[in-house]
Amino acid sequence: MKIGVLVKQVAGSESPLRIDSEAKWVDESAVDFSINESDSYALEEALQIIERSGGDGEVVVVSMGPAGRTPKVIREALAKGGHRAIHIQEEAPYETDPFMIASIFAEALKDEQFDLILSGLQSDDLSSGQTGVILGELLGMSTATLVMGVEVQDGNLRAKRELESGWFQWVTLPFPACITIQSGLNQPRYPSLKGIMGAKKKEIKPVSKADLVDDLKPLQDYSNMYLFKAEKSTEMIEGSADEVVDKLADIFKNKIKAL
Amino acid sequence: MISQILFVGLLASGIVLFARRVKQIRTNILLGKDLDRTDHPVVRWKTMFKVALGQIKMVKRPVSGILHIIVYAGFIIVNIEMLEIVLDGILGTHRLFAPVGTLYSLLIGSFEVIALLVILACATFLVRRNVVRMKRFHSKEMTAWPKTDANIILVTEILLMSAFIFMNAADMLLQDIDPAHYASTGTFPISSVVQPLLLGFSENGLVLIERGLWWFHIVGVMAFLVYVTYSKHFHILLAFPNTYYSNLENRGKLPVMPAVLNEVKTMLDPNADPYADSGTGDEDDENFGANDVRDLTWKQLMDGYACTECGRCTSVCPVNMTGKVLSPRKILMDTRDRLEEVGKNIRSNNGEFVDDKKSLLYTYITEEELWGCTTCVACVEACPVLIDPLSTIIDLRRYLVLSEGKPHSQAAESLEKTMNTGNPWGYSQSERTKWATDAGLDLPLMSEKKEADVLYWVGCAGSYDPRNQQVSKAMIKILEAAEVDYAVLGTEESCTGDSARRLGEEYLFETMTLQNIETFKKYKFNKIVAPCPHCFHTIGNEYTDFEVNYKVQHHSQFIGELVDSGKLNLKKYYDNKVTYHDPCYLGRHNNEYDASRNIINGVLKNDKLIEMKQNRKNSFCCGAGGGNMWYDLEGGDRINYVRFQEAIDTGADVVATACSFCTFMMDDAMKVKGKEDTMQVLDIAEMVATAL
Repeated sequence: MKIGVLVKQVAGSESPLRIDSEAKWVDESAVDFSINESDSYALEEALQIIERSGGDGEVVVVSMGPAGRTPKVIREALAKGGHRAIHIQEEAPYETDPFMIASIFAEALKDEQFDLILSGLQSDDLSSGQTGVILGELLGMSTATLVMGVEVQDGNLRAKRELESGWFQWVTLPFPACITIQSGLNQPRYPSLKGIMGAKKKEIKPVSKADLVDDLKPLQDYSNMYLFKAEKSTEMIEGSADEVVDKLADIFKNKIKAL
Repeated sequence: MISQILFVGLLASGIVLFARRVKQIRTNILLGKDLDRTDHPVVRWKTMFKVALGQIKMVKRPVSGILHIIVYAGFIIVNIEMLEIVLDGILGTHRLFAPVGTLYSLLIGSFEVIALLVILACATFLVRRNVVRMKRFHSKEMTAWPKTDANIILVTEILLMSAFIFMNAADMLLQDIDPAHYASTGTFPISSVVQPLLLGFSENGLVLIERGLWWFHIVGVMAFLVYVTYSKHFHILLAFPNTYYSNLENRGKLPVMPAVLNEVKTMLDPNADPYADSGTGDEDDENFGANDVRDLTWKQLMDGYACTECGRCTSVCPVNMTGKVLSPRKILMDTRDRLEEVGKNIRSNNGEFVDDKKSLLYTYITEEELWGCTTCVACVEACPVLIDPLSTIIDLRRYLVLSEGKPHSQAAESLEKTMNTGNPWGYSQSERTKWATDAGLDLPLMSEKKEADVLYWVGCAGSYDPRNQQVSKAMIKILEAAEVDYAVLGTEESCTGDSARRLGEEYLFETMTLQNIETFKKYKFNKIVAPCPHCFHTIGNEYTDFEVNYKVQHHSQFIGELVDSGKLNLKKYYDNKVTYHDPCYLGRHNNEYDASRNIINGVLKNDKLIEMKQNRKNSFCCGAGGGNMWYDLEGGDRINYVRFQEAIDTGADVVATACSFCTFMMDDAMKVKGKEDTMQVLDIAEMVATAL
């Protein structure tokens, strides 16, 4: 089986987040980067699928990010057991639109003919949770999200999806399939030194993002990025029922802008 | 004549069997990896004389120590008499040396007294093992063979010594009956007492007894000689080389792995192309750390044979004492047993080892045992023949982590955090000085000053752990009060790699080390002061293997100097009852027991500090060392709770300590024990800062 795993390098959960001067992204100078949490579970699951099938197959690590820092996560994934990697190089400002990101991945991976693509459920920085599904659609693969367990059965993929309130759903997908993985379904391995040394001779193929997006335009963009400010205010609305309704409607329309 | 031939045959076969077996053991030991332990011969000879011959470590437990010396010295001295037996046997004479006269009587007479003492000591040992059933002789590794082995040896010694006494008794009676054949020896003190037991026998009967016991003695000694080499009792010989070749360096200082260092250097090379294929191609064949006995050094293998299973190590192991699976003695016994198995395998396969699907790790020693160790070195301190169980434990851990990528699952998280953020808590490096800015402190930074007398090493705990941040603030107050020219590294400081190294993650440790050394090299300072004994030990004793040598002081030593030189005036402030918990990495690792005690006594109004039952060299670990800070052990009691109970039992209301981990662990235990309102855990720096 040939498996692609999307991994993203994101700001570590304890990093102090400051907005950069253009209010478009976080100031990266104070950030400690690490692998996106659910991606590390996706990688582990891919490695285990191959191991369960007797070691037959290939795990290709795919990541998009700047040339300066991204190879660190890629090497880490290769040290854990990935066979080779594709690095889509992009420099800031980074792509933030999930459709664009998925389209770029689709273009980069279209010739790979993966049987299975795994990605984390969402990235810890943008948290859109869409890239994996859109990529699957673009590549004509069957898709499932929020996967907590996988098994290969009769040439199909059976995936256990997490629903609300402790409920799960088993779905059967034909290959090729593209699924997004929920954190916690396995225990991600620690890279051994043997793995780290072995990773040095594994191929990382650099691909330039610019070569993959000719006439694509993002469907959405960040106009402004700001830190959430917690505010509390209370306004007592008094009067007759009609007056209260009018005032409430006015507040929703003009103040909260929810209507 | 026949008896002479028989005798020589017996003697020769005993010696041949003994020599063959010794050679076998030597071959087995040399299956281990190379290690140079030939330096400082004078120190080594001295150590051997003191520890192996002088048995200074044995008498740390006086009862068994003194009894042991009696058996040991007695056995050797009485066997001087073997010289006469051997000559008599070969020449067909009887009591060849008897004509010497009074001196002979005196010698044999004193041998008898010693023999009696040996009998009494061995009997006491038997009682301790089988009647009183002392705990350390009855753990799970001490069943079946090891237990029988010990009893066989003790009974044999008693029999041999008794044979010697009764032989003399019979001989003395025969001297009266047949003075022509039995030369007069005068009266021996012990055999003359047992003589009445033999009065009923005829001359022939007495001759039979005398000859019988003579033969029994020599056959017994020869059998014993051979038996010893298959037994734990072989320590009587191996104690000597084992102490001679013992580790002369700081206890608990771990060796650098050159292959790992190469790897780290390549990784840190700023000019390296991240996309380049820099593999050499032979990575798959290389193993790091030890999976089986042949991955250990010859010294670690010798340790296995030198162990006499006395269990002093296990009886002081905090992990074992709190009911978990680790037993340092078992590590040694397993090493020896597996080595015997591997040696046999090689001998029966024409010098080639044939894979038997077994290994020291997994088949003999489990991961759970290995992760138990807190590296407190109580076992190393306790061993009477300077065996180092810790070094074997670490090499097995190194294999688990470096070769298999299998650190303890909870520890893996802290290791990854250390790798990514420079501290095991995983907080951002950019917030390393937040504790100070939040407190309104303006820390002098090395990056601004470039030069300072003292580089104050805050440490990860002091930077990120809320409890230890209080200690950091206290230290700043002290440094300011004493007008010390100091600076901190701020965001340039990162973990020393202590936990990583003890966990077997040598790659991460050496990465942190080289990065920190690069930082040190940017600035000028006279010494480093660290409030955590782990940082103090790592930078002071282990960074020295990386071509640097800094003067490093623990804050207790540094504060002590400030007080002594009058730069710091302490008030007698506390009227509490204070007890002091010795941190392992300050005490047993670095022999610093007094600095903290002096400081504490300097700020106490009345009483001297109260000692806990286990203190100084015998201190009981807090449970956090060796990376145990970052994961929980299954089963048994929590080490810190047990230790804190000991503190409660002293009646103290302040538990003072001098280590980031100890402070954290004692504080935690205090809360769990519900003593928050009545007791306090304080670092010595906090006590000093209050007493300024």
